Amino acid sequence: MDIKRNHQPPKLADHFLEFYCSAEKLEQIQGDAYEIFYLNLEEKGLRYARFRFFIHVLSFFRWGNITKTRLTNYSAMNTSMLKNYFKIGWRNLLKQKATTFISVFGLACAVGCCLVAYLFIEQIWFKGMLQPNKNEIYQLTYAVDEKEGKVRYGTVAEPIAELLKDEFSQIKSQTRVKSGFPVLIHQRESFKQRVMYVDPGFMEMFIYQMEYGYPQALSEPNQVILTYELSEKLFGDTYPIGQEITLVTNGKEIQYKVGGVLEKLNDMEIFNFDLLVNFETQEMLESAVSVKDSWNSELWTFVQIDGESNPNALSAGLEGIRKSQNKINPEKPYLNLELLAYTDLVSESEQIENGVISFLAIGPQILLGAIGAFVLILAVFNYINISILMATKRLKEIGIRKVIGSRRSQLMIQFLSENLIVCVLAICFGCLLAVFIFLPGFNQIASKSLKIDLFNDPYIWAFLISFTAGITLASGLYPAAFVSSFKPVNILKGNQQIGSKSILTSVLLTFQFTLAIISIVAGIAFLQTNYLNENRDWGYDNSDKIIVNVPESEGFLALKNKLSAIATVEGVSGSQNYVGNYIEESAVTLNGLEYEVNLLQAEATYPELLGLELTFGRFLDSKSATDLTENIIVNEKFMSDLGLGFPTEEIIILDSINFQIVGVVADFHSEFFERPIAPTVIRATGDIAYDFLTLQISPGSASASMDLVKGSFREIFPRGLFQGKLQEDVFEFSFNDVRGVQNIILFSAILAVLLSAMGLYGLVSLNMSSRIKDFCIRKVFGAEMGDLSKKLFRRYLISWGIASILGGIVSYLIVTSFFDSFFAFHSGVGLLPLSSGILGLLLVIGVTVSSQLWKVYKANPSYILKAE
Amino acid sequence: MKGYHLGELEELVLLTVGILNQEAYGVSILEEIKNQTGRSVNISAIHTVLNRLEEKGFLRSKMGGATEERGGRRKRLFTLSATGRAAIEQVKTVRNKLFEQLPPFALDFSYGY
Repeated sequence: MDIKRNHQPPKLADHFLEFYCSAEKLEQIQGDAYEIFYLNLEEKGLRYARFRFFIHVLSFFRWGNITKTRLTNYSAMNTSMLKNYFKIGWRNLLKQKATTFISVFGLACAVGCCLVAYLFIEQIWFKGMLQPNKNEIYQLTYAVDEKEGKVRYGTVAEPIAELLKDEFSQIKSQTRVKSGFPVLIHQRESFKQRVMYVDPGFMEMFIYQMEYGYPQALSEPNQVILTYELSEKLFGDTYPIGQEITLVTNGKEIQYKVGGVLEKLNDMEIFNFDLLVNFETQEMLESAVSVKDSWNSELWTFVQIDGESNPNALSAGLEGIRKSQNKINPEKPYLNLELLAYTDLVSESEQIENGVISFLAIGPQILLGAIGAFVLILAVFNYINISILMATKRLKEIGIRKVIGSRRSQLMIQFLSENLIVCVLAICFGCLLAVFIFLPGFNQIASKSLKIDLFNDPYIWAFLISFTAGITLASGLYPAAFVSSFKPVNILKGNQQIGSKSILTSVLLTFQFTLAIISIVAGIAFLQTNYLNENRDWGYDNSDKIIVNVPESEGFLALKNKLSAIATVEGVSGSQNYVGNYIEESAVTLNGLEYEVNLLQAEATYPELLGLELTFGRFLDSKSATDLTENIIVNEKFMSDLGLGFPTEEIIILDSINFQIVGVVADFHSEFFERPIAPTVIRATGDIAYDFLTLQISPGSASASMDLVKGSFREIFPRGLFQGKLQEDVFEFSFNDVRGVQNIILFSAILAVLLSAMGLYGLVSLNMSSRIKDFCIRKVFGAEMGDLSKKLFRRYLISWGIASILGGIVSYLIVTSFFDSFFAFHSGVGLLPLSSGILGLLLVIGVTVSSQLWKVYKANPSYILKAE
Repeated sequence: MKGYHLGELEELVLLTVGILNQEAYGVSILEEIKNQTGRSVNISAIHTVLNRLEEKGFLRSKMGGATEERGGRRKRLFTLSATGRAAIEQVKTVRNKLFEQLPPFALDFSYGY
C-alpha cells in the first residue's frame, strides 16, 4: 500500500477532470480512473500509469460527461447570490461607519479632483466633438513649400469658397470663417469683442442651441447673433432681439440688428467668439480689390458633405481648383488642396499652421492630471490599508464561509462587491463635490465654464463608468485576493496574523507620507514665491500713474493737451508701448555683432515720469535735438550683456542710425516675473503720435482721477475704445493667474494632508482597537505612557523618516523644475518649504497617533480586561 | 413483439453485468471482459455504454461501498433489470435461430459454382 500513498495521479489531469465532469458522474468516473491508475501502477510502473490516466481523462471528455448545468447548479454570479453579496456588503459598511466614511470621503475627493482634471483635458482633446454633424464636416487645407519644408495651412484663399459651389454637388453647406476684433459700440459704450464673420451656412453646419431668435437670422446681412454672455453684458434684462449695435472696422461704422442669441456656450465648442456677423458685410467693407489680392487673403473654409458621399470624391475637383490657384498666384503655388476631417482638427493641430486650434495647453493638463493622480493614489492606498486591516475583524467569517464550502472566487466577489458599493458611493459624492465645490472654484480660477453634462456628453459617461471599474479593481483586487487566501484551519485556530505589521501597509503608508510632503512643499514654496513676487520691486515707481490708449493718431496731441489740463495730472508722456506690457523687439549692432533687445520708443520725459532709477549718466532731454536723434538710454542688463561699462564711447547701431549711450537705468520689470529682464533700449523720438499716454497723477488720487480721464478721452474720441488703467494694475492679470495656480496647489496640498491623516487615523485606530488589551495589560504591570507611546509611534516615525528623505529630494527636484519652467524669478525650494513640509507632516502624525494614545491613557484597564 | 436493439459492446457489457452479479462497476466490468474475451476496452467506452443501457432501462444502479484504491470514492454498482434479462434472452434466441439456419459449410461443394 505504500506505493499508493507515495504516488498520486497527475494533478493537472485530475483537476481537468474535476473541472469538466458533471457533479453526479464525477465520483464514479474519478473513482474508476484512480482505481485503474493504481492497477497500472502496480503492473506497469508510474510512467505508464500516469500516461494512461491522462488518456482516460481525455477519453472521458465526452458530451454526456461534461457538465452542462454548471451555471444554474453552482454559480457565484446568479442573482440571489449577487443580492446576498451586496446585502452582506452593505451591512458590513454600516457596521463600520468611521472607516467607511474615511474610504468614501477619500475616494470622493479623489473622484472630484479627477473629474475636474478629466473635464479640463476633455475640453481640449474632445473639443467640438459634441457637434451632431461632426462626421460630415471638413476643413480645406493646403500645403506649400517653405524654407522649413512642406507646411500645411488651415486657411485657404478666399475665392476658393466661391468656386466650391459650382464645382461640387455633394456639398450640403459651406462657410467661410474669419475672426476679427472690431470695436463694438452700444449706447455710447464701446467694447472690444471677438467677432467671427461667417456665411449663413455656418449655422446649418454647426448646431448651436438658441436662447432667443433663430439660427437663420444670419441670412439677413444686417443681423448678428450674439453669445449669451455678450447679450447679458450689453442688454442686461431687456429683450435683445431687434436691438441695435454698431461695429467699427478700420474706421468704418456699420449698424447691425441683433437677430439671435445663443445659449450659454460651454468649453466643448471649437470656436471662440462673442458674436457672429454675416460675411457679406465684411466684403462690403473692402473696396474693390484685384483678383490677385483676393486670392492672397486667406481664411478658414469649412464644407459639410452629404452623409453618404465619400470625401475622396471631391479630390478631383479640388485638384482643378488647385491648378487655377497655381496659375493666378505662381509665387506661392499650392502643392495640394485637401480636406481635413473636422474630427481630426485637434489631433492634427500640431501639423496645421493657422488652424482653428493653435495650442493645447499641455502644462496645465500635466499639473491637473498630476494633482488628480496624487489624490487618487492617496485615497486608493488609504482604502487598501484600511480594508486589509478591517479583514482582521472578519477572519472568522472568512473561515466559516470557507468551511461551509464557499470558494475563493466567491469570497473575492464578496469583497469586491463591498468595494463596488464604496466606489459607487464615492463616485456619486465625488460628482456632487465636483459640481458644487470643485468645478465652480476651478472655473473661477481658470476662467472656464466646465460642467458635467450628463445629458449631452457621452464621453463623461464613458469616463465615469470606466473610472468606477478602474478604482474598484485598483483598490479592491489586492485586499480581496489577500484576505481570501487564508486557510480556514489557521483562521479558526486563531493562528492567522495579518495587517498590523505587514510590510505592504508600511510601504503604502510611506508612499502616502511622501506624496503629502511633496504637495506641502509645493504649496508652501509656491506661496513663498508669490509673496516674494508680489512684494518685489518693479524697478520703477508704479504708484499714481494712469495709462491711456490713443485709438487714433490724429487725436494724440489734442488728447495730450486735454489730459494735461486736468488738475490732478502732474505730467503726461507718450510712448509706443508701455512698461508692464509687451515691448517691441529689435536688434542693435555693436562692433559688428548683433544683439536682440527690447526697444521702448517714447517721449524723452517718459523714463523720468515713470520713475526709472538712473544709475549712471543722465535722462534724455526733450529740448536737446541730439538727444532725440543720437542718444539713447539703456538698462543695466543691456550694459552687462553687451559687456559695456559707463561711460562708454561705443557706438550702438539701431535702425542703421548711430547712437550714443548717455544714461543707464536700473533694471525694471517690463514684463511679468515669468520672463527674465531683457536688455532694453529707450529711445526718444520727436513729436510723433504715440499709442499710449502715461499720466503722473498727484499722490493718492489716481483711481479717483480715472473718471475725469475717461471724460476727457470721450470728448476727443467719442466712439473710441477706452482702455485706461492704473500702472500698478498692469500685472494684475498675471497675478490673478498665478494666485489661481497657487490656490489649486494649496488646495491639493491640504487635501493630500487631510487624506493621509485620515488614512493614518484609520490605521492607528484599527490597530489600537485590536491591541488595546495588550496595552491595558502593560499598563496594569506598570508600563509608563512614554514606553507605550514609543511602541506605537516607532513604526510611523520610521515611515515618516523614510518619507522625509524621499519626499524632500523628490519635491526639491520636481518643484524646482516646475518653478523654472513657470517663473524667471522665484524663491526656489528653500529650507522653509522643505522643513515646513516635513515638520508639518510630523505634527499631523503626532496629533493623529496621540489622539489614539489618549484613549489608552483614559482607559480603565479593569473595564476593558473584564469585557471578555 | 417490440425489438431490443443492442450493439455489440452493449451486449457484451450487459452480459458481463449479469455475470458479475452485484459486483458490477466500471473497472470490474473492464477486467471481466478482458479476462473472459481477451478484449481490452477503454474505460470511458464502458461508462458510456453503461449509461446508455441504464437510460434504456436494461440496467439499474446504486452507489456502493468506497475503497482506498479509489481515494475514498464510491462505486456505482450496476445490476441487470428484468428488461435487461429479457433483452439478452431475446438477442440469444434471435442469434440461435439465425445460427441454426446456417447451411453446413464444409459439405456443400456446389456452393458458389
